[in-house]
Amino acid sequence: MERIKINARQLFVLIVLFEHGSAIVIPLGVSAKQDVWIAILLGLALGLLLFFVYRQLFEYYPDQPLTAYLPQIVGAPLGKLLAVVYITYFLYIAARVLRDFGELLLTFAYPETPLFVLNAIMALTIMYGVYKGFEVLARTGELFLTVLYFLALAGFILVFVSGLVDVTQLQPVLEEDWRRVWKTVLTETLYVPFGEMIVFTMLFPYINNPVKVGRVGVAGMVLSGVNLAIIMAINMAVLGPDAASRSSFPLLDTIRRVQVAHFLERLDVLFMIALIIGGFFKISVFFYAGVVGAANLFGISSYQRLVYPLGLLVLLLSVAIASNYAEHIHEGLKIVTFYLHIPLQVIIPVLLLIIAAIRRRFNQPAK
Amino acid sequence: MKRLLGMFLPFAACVCLLSGCWSKKELTDLAFVIAVGLDKTEDGKYLASFQVVNPGNVAGATQRGGGAAGVPVSIYTSTGDSLVEASRKASEKVSRLLYYAHTNLVVVGEELAREGLDGVFDAMERSQQFRTTARLVIARGHSAKDTLSVLTPIDKISANQIIRTLEFSEMAWGQTINVDVWWAIRGIASPGRNPVITGVSIEGGLKKGKRQENVQSSVPDARVTLNGLALFKNGRLIGWADGPTARGMMWVLDRIHQTNLTIPWEGKQEAIGYRATRAKTNVEARVNNGRPSISVHIKAEGDISEARVPINLADAGVVFRLEQELERNVKQEITKAIETAQREKTDIFGFGDAVHRAAPRLWKKIEKEWHDRYFPELDVTVTADLYIRRTGLRNKPYIEE
Repeated sequence: MERIKINARQLFVLIVLFEHGSAIVIPLGVSAKQDVWIAILLGLALGLLLFFVYRQLFEYYPDQPLTAYLPQIVGAPLGKLLAVVYITYFLYIAARVLRDFGELLLTFAYPETPLFVLNAIMALTIMYGVYKGFEVLARTGELFLTVLYFLALAGFILVFVSGLVDVTQLQPVLEEDWRRVWKTVLTETLYVPFGEMIVFTMLFPYINNPVKVGRVGVAGMVLSGVNLAIIMAINMAVLGPDAASRSSFPLLDTIRRVQVAHFLERLDVLFMIALIIGGFFKISVFFYAGVVGAANLFGISSYQRLVYPLGLLVLLLSVAIASNYAEHIHEGLKIVTFYLHIPLQVIIPVLLLIIAAIRRRFNQPAK
Repeated sequence: MKRLLGMFLPFAACVCLLSGCWSKKELTDLAFVIAVGLDKTEDGKYLASFQVVNPGNVAGATQRGGGAAGVPVSIYTSTGDSLVEASRKASEKVSRLLYYAHTNLVVVGEELAREGLDGVFDAMERSQQFRTTARLVIARGHSAKDTLSVLTPIDKISANQIIRTLEFSEMAWGQTINVDVWWAIRGIASPGRNPVITGVSIEGGLKKGKRQENVQSSVPDARVTLNGLALFKNGRLIGWADGPTARGMMWVLDRIHQTNLTIPWEGKQEAIGYRATRAKTNVEARVNNGRPSISVHIKAEGDISEARVPINLADAGVVFRLEQELERNVKQEITKAIETAQREKTDIFGFGDAVHRAAPRLWKKIEKEWHDRYFPELDVTVTADLYIRRTGLRNKPYIEE
């Protein structure tokens, strides 16, 4: 493990950037149509419950990442196997987000560039960042969050000033009862981006003030969740449920519609910057978690030795996992959710917590 | 040697990665398509016309005293089974790559519009180059190609001329609507609303309109002019609305910004002019016993712009009576517009969307038959509050009783 510490503010910044990550650009929860904001807020509420599970585990095993305390909870063979599964999961999700990133850029800005080239440039940057260490990432995050917020504010004002927001498009609220909303929550918004906080169980040990982990995590998630709900609600109000759910990138469509005073228009670049900043941090966090997890599990003293081989793996994986965008999205929504997100974000952590709690109860009197 | 290589490699990488010119195109390789016209050929293919800016004849031409050297725009046409095919095929005629990021106007020929717009806009919405904020008009009585080929004075590029006319006419007069491709797509896709699109026609002789001489006269031989609203149903043009009817539609659509109304006074027709400077429309849907009904409420304020009969406008009682007369007039205009739409069985006002919002459950049941069965029999109550705020620089006209 790296002997570095980050402070609570840096953790907060990383959580916010991570949660926004790709979620602001993809059509997050649009299957709930005009109730998307409700779906996101409900996802946030359930996501907070999951976060308490992750935090409780950290409280039981402070100073250790998930992959280190897994064997302590369920025993060495099974624990190590699970640790390998989690490391693979983190790296796979890193590859998925990298693919998202490449596909997005390719679709709207670089139609003639090969996917591999775009992904490689991003992957190299991420590898370099991770090689330099977690603290560097955290401090870069502080810088970029300011940029992102400034852009978000500018975009927000422009969208409103151009008179695009038509709140009636958010009506009727709860047209098809709660069923459609809950379905979206339980199949989409809970896991991406809120359940993905599982990756921070690998990073909590770096906080110099562990007491604050809970508070900072909740604050970061709530801020991100509310932001995402607002952004998606604006997308709906600008585009209407029909266009928003047909769009590959609703936020891009919203920004493209901005026309203020005949010269503040074609602001696609705002979207692009948000995409690159968010993508960078989301992939970096997943990748870092995967790399330190692997180093820790296999007893490699310096995690940096794994950065380049694993980075290459992620890069190749990002190109190889799907042959087209439709397949990629299908895998993401159907397969990954049910076979990876639900077991690894919900079932296993909850089971771990139960086992850990029982163990502590039986161990305590003996002490 | 190793150090040298270590220095060289990053440099090489930077050169390759940072220059960012993977698919670069120089400005001189691009033909900026400012407007796209769409027609149907006789054998059922698309006839696409591209109005391409001729940069040398636009920039600075006015300063140098009339761009006598050549025309500011050039029209290329091409046919194909689909829009993109036609666009690609046009490369056989254009010496540059057609570039759509600055396309600001789409003109659809009346014939094509009557056949239906389904699917026409897909390529525009899907492309990352094209923008759905491009304005949309229907060429009325002519092909889109002819409309685009008329040369215009003041704004040298005729696409810009049409766009600016659209914009200012909606702002000042309100009988035409300034909409973009997006609006049409939304209207076609939505079950509770059909689009209306402004018509553009050509006044005068088309033959001469295509030549540079057209703009060298103070009264051009041919002019493009906005002309009425095209009513759509199921993505097909089914009729036109003109004059006060068109403005009635604009009132309901809450698209009136400013306009001028002329009302009779004490038996004399066209006596008093009223200039509305601010207007707001509220549309609300209600459901009684499973039957939807709509109430439209107009609120506008403005000034007296003209008084051609003896009248004392300093008298508040007279102004009040004028206001009532105005309200009666506006209501009439709107009722006529709604009746026209109901006769054509097309809900261009988005009343269906309002019903959808007010009664989602009921809407699910009537959605399919909305335009044909429910909308034509819909109860619409129109109320109007028009205020005369000021009377201009005079309180009495110079005509004495």
